[in-house]
Amino acid sequence: MGRTKLYLDDDIPSHGKRIWRLFAAKPQALAGLWGVVLLLLLAMFGDYIAPYAAEYQDQAALLMPPSWSNQGDVSHFLGTDDLGRDIFSRLLHGAQYTFGVAFSVVLTALIVGVVIGSISGMMRGLKSSILGHLLDALLSIPSLLMAILVVAVTGPGLENVFWAVGISLTPQFVRSIHQTVHDELQKEYVTAASLDGANALQIFWYVIMPNVWETVIIQTTLAMSAAILDIAALGFLNLGAQAPMPEWGAMVLQGLDNFLTSPWTVTIPGVAILLSVLSVNLVGDGLRSALAPMRN
Amino acid sequence: MPLLDVRNLTIELDTPQGPAKALERVSLTINAGEMHGLIGESGSGRSLLARAILGIHDPSWKITADRLMWDGKNLMDMPRQERRSLMGDEISMIFQDPSGSFNPTYTVGHQLLEAIPKGNKWTFWRHTREKKLLAQKWLHKVGIKNPRKVFYSYPWELSEGECQKVMIAMALAKQPRLLIADEPTASMEPSTQAQIYRLLTQLNQLQNVTVLLISHELDTLSNWCNRMTVLYCGQVMESGPTAELMSQPNHPYTKALLDNMPDYSTNVRHKKLMPTLPGSVPALRHLPIGCRLGPRCPEARRQCVKQPMLSHYKDRYFACHFPYQDEVDDDDTLT
Amino acid sequence: MGRYLLRRLNLFIATSLVLIAILFFATRLFPAELNYALSGIALPTSEQQLQIQHDFALDKSTLRQFFAYSAERLSGNFGISVTSQRPVSGELLGVLPASFELAFVAGLLALIVGVPLGVISALSRSKSLQKLIMAVTLTGYSIPVFWLGLLLSLWFGVQLGWLPISGQINLLYQIPKVTGFMLLDTLLFDGTYKWAAFIDALQHIIMPACTLAVLPFTVVVRITRTAMISVMNQTYIRAAEARGLSNTSIILKHALPNALIPLLKHLGLMLGPFASYAIVVEVIFSWPGIGAWLVSGIYQRDYTVIQGGIFAVALVIIFFSILIEVLYTAANPVSRKDMYGTN
Repeated sequence: MGRTKLYLDDDIPSHGKRIWRLFAAKPQALAGLWGVVLLLLLAMFGDYIAPYAAEYQDQAALLMPPSWSNQGDVSHFLGTDDLGRDIFSRLLHGAQYTFGVAFSVVLTALIVGVVIGSISGMMRGLKSSILGHLLDALLSIPSLLMAILVVAVTGPGLENVFWAVGISLTPQFVRSIHQTVHDELQKEYVTAASLDGANALQIFWYVIMPNVWETVIIQTTLAMSAAILDIAALGFLNLGAQAPMPEWGAMVLQGLDNFLTSPWTVTIPGVAILLSVLSVNLVGDGLRSALAPMRN
Repeated sequence: MPLLDVRNLTIELDTPQGPAKALERVSLTINAGEMHGLIGESGSGRSLLARAILGIHDPSWKITADRLMWDGKNLMDMPRQERRSLMGDEISMIFQDPSGSFNPTYTVGHQLLEAIPKGNKWTFWRHTREKKLLAQKWLHKVGIKNPRKVFYSYPWELSEGECQKVMIAMALAKQPRLLIADEPTASMEPSTQAQIYRLLTQLNQLQNVTVLLISHELDTLSNWCNRMTVLYCGQVMESGPTAELMSQPNHPYTKALLDNMPDYSTNVRHKKLMPTLPGSVPALRHLPIGCRLGPRCPEARRQCVKQPMLSHYKDRYFACHFPYQDEVDDDDTLT
Repeated sequence: MGRYLLRRLNLFIATSLVLIAILFFATRLFPAELNYALSGIALPTSEQQLQIQHDFALDKSTLRQFFAYSAERLSGNFGISVTSQRPVSGELLGVLPASFELAFVAGLLALIVGVPLGVISALSRSKSLQKLIMAVTLTGYSIPVFWLGLLLSLWFGVQLGWLPISGQINLLYQIPKVTGFMLLDTLLFDGTYKWAAFIDALQHIIMPACTLAVLPFTVVVRITRTAMISVMNQTYIRAAEARGLSNTSIILKHALPNALIPLLKHLGLMLGPFASYAIVVEVIFSWPGIGAWLVSGIYQRDYTVIQGGIFAVALVIIFFSILIEVLYTAANPVSRKDMYGTN
């Protein structure tokens, strides 16, 4: 059929490419992505690039203000705390605790959540409803209370924070994945696939899962920002990372004694937490708006 | 003087690929008391036209027109709020999706009351009660069997047909001069469809309401309307009295539409191809220049890359460089 | 409707039982003697020992112990606090109203400011205003609450000296406890310094309430905005316009009620994070509420306080989330449509 083409065809981008294009069209989302990548690198290599060791105390420079102040010195870029420890180095060392632990908690909760959520989502009837009640009860305990409960059992420490935050995040994953799988299961295209003779496993993997990933991604970014905030808050309440550890929330607590005389010991770790949560949220926001046209 | 006179209306939409003219130089004239059909495929801009007339368009649309006159008043110069209240009083519209046109959080009665104009003839303490009675009277008039029950129902408790009737009642309660019915019978059973159309005709004949009926079904429109306007892809192809249009189309597109109507009277060979125009309606971002039917038109020639002006002969209008018309040629030789 | 309410009540009971079960098993994991963790009595006399054994059915099977535990806790026996040596239930009733007061003021603040702002950002055609509002809410959503609280108290409390930074009211004022809500109590109080006390209480609540309101405020703005944008695109808004209604009455009568329904649903989901934030805020501003009480309980290893506090907070959250769900169903006629199907 030698037909001349009347209209130029647009090339239709693949699903992933289209999401990336929509995502990259927003400068703030890209900035957030760079921030997250930087934080991940810092969490992995922060120990090696930090100019001082986390515990190194410079007796000559106690409570030195940041370098842009008149009393500051560039050898301690963000100033020092009351023991003469370099705040910039401690922030770099702390990235692995605040951001790195948050990342691994979310990853663990994600895997557990996807497994339990998809199994329970495929189930029907009583079993599913019992699980629903259990999750409702777990969800009704706020993350901080869950952490307090875990700390009461195991005592304070960063490892326990891992469990505490993990236990409070997992139900959220299970719940949202359960809900999505359950909703997708009601739709017509699933019926069509099962009429074509697909078995439960095939339906789950080839039919339902592609539609669940988006929920998973969005839930992950939400959980990530919640995890960072929770870990920092627990560190601040002295229930998480303990005193000499350069976890950012704990650093805020350690600076609290000198808050009035040298506020940078509190504000700078706080800004670090704010910026990392902000970049995670920017990525999440960008992803959500990039995925939105697909979901409607 | 015509009731509604639209001349060269153009609507530009913002699409991701840049601005596109969804409607290009559309002209439409509706005289008082007639039942005017607007026919076009879905996506040809019928609903856009209706919304542009009513002024309930999206603020991002760019609308230009040489003339947009309603009963001698120029609508283009009017401030938005004044125009809306004038349109609310004098024009009513029925939407494609009747159950979606009701706010789901209120009962239909509540929304019907909003449409009833404020009458001063009642003393204030009887005002609400009288208004309710009037609303129920309107419901009864459009053929709803138990108006009281429907009045206190939520939109999702009613069927599509009932919703559409309430919608018509709401449109009529304003006692408008023009009723725009945008696909009033989409997704309804044929018996309900016939009821709705009969209702509209009755209104037209008994209450002297002018009706602009928008549809994609040529045979229904030709049954109910006095005059028709054919729209293709945002351009007016032809306009004229229904009977003449049906018996002798001037425009290739109208002819194609008529040819496409399945004819069951003669013996059709098994698996015979139905007559259709080649190709399909172009997407909004691939609009051809000039006459938009060009690439699909059997009569297309070189001149067709220029948009033909709407020319008229007696009371028939058409926009084509090469119309099907024998008498016109005769007339030309006479003059 | 009756059956629906009954089912929600069922859900409430079932969820509460699961909650008690979680606490029951956590109690046995506490690094302390079971007797002590259950009753809070460090050195019980032999009578007390027997009493505890009997109350919690410690010599029976685990299942019987669970039922005994639930019965004791539900009847209000939370044991005694190690630090104060007073019953936990009494202390709980003492601290709960302060927390409710703070949460209520903060929530109200968030709604009063957040809803109009969300509507404005949805309707505004100015891109820069929309971007500004989005940037502010995203930052507010990302800010660590303890840090924000510290900064606010440094600026407004210490450097500017405008507002008090800790407590519920100045200790100079002796206000008898009637409702437990300090703002109400000062109003009910009949004395010479009634208004002075009220203003003082008001000044004390401003900073904690503003700090706590930041999270719900940002969520309210974003949800209202999204809901409003999607509602304004519905056909019934076009239909209302075609009826000639003015913009104001369309927004207030037709768009806003429909946009507030999804907001209600999200408020229910927000209760957990809100409670977490409230605990931190109470600690920072030394607000005499349940959060500060609970955190001091954990510093003292006061196991009965921990159990009682978690039980109370989680129960309140379960109750309110179910209440919001019922309200959602009542406010949203469309959701009743599904109810006809399932019941």
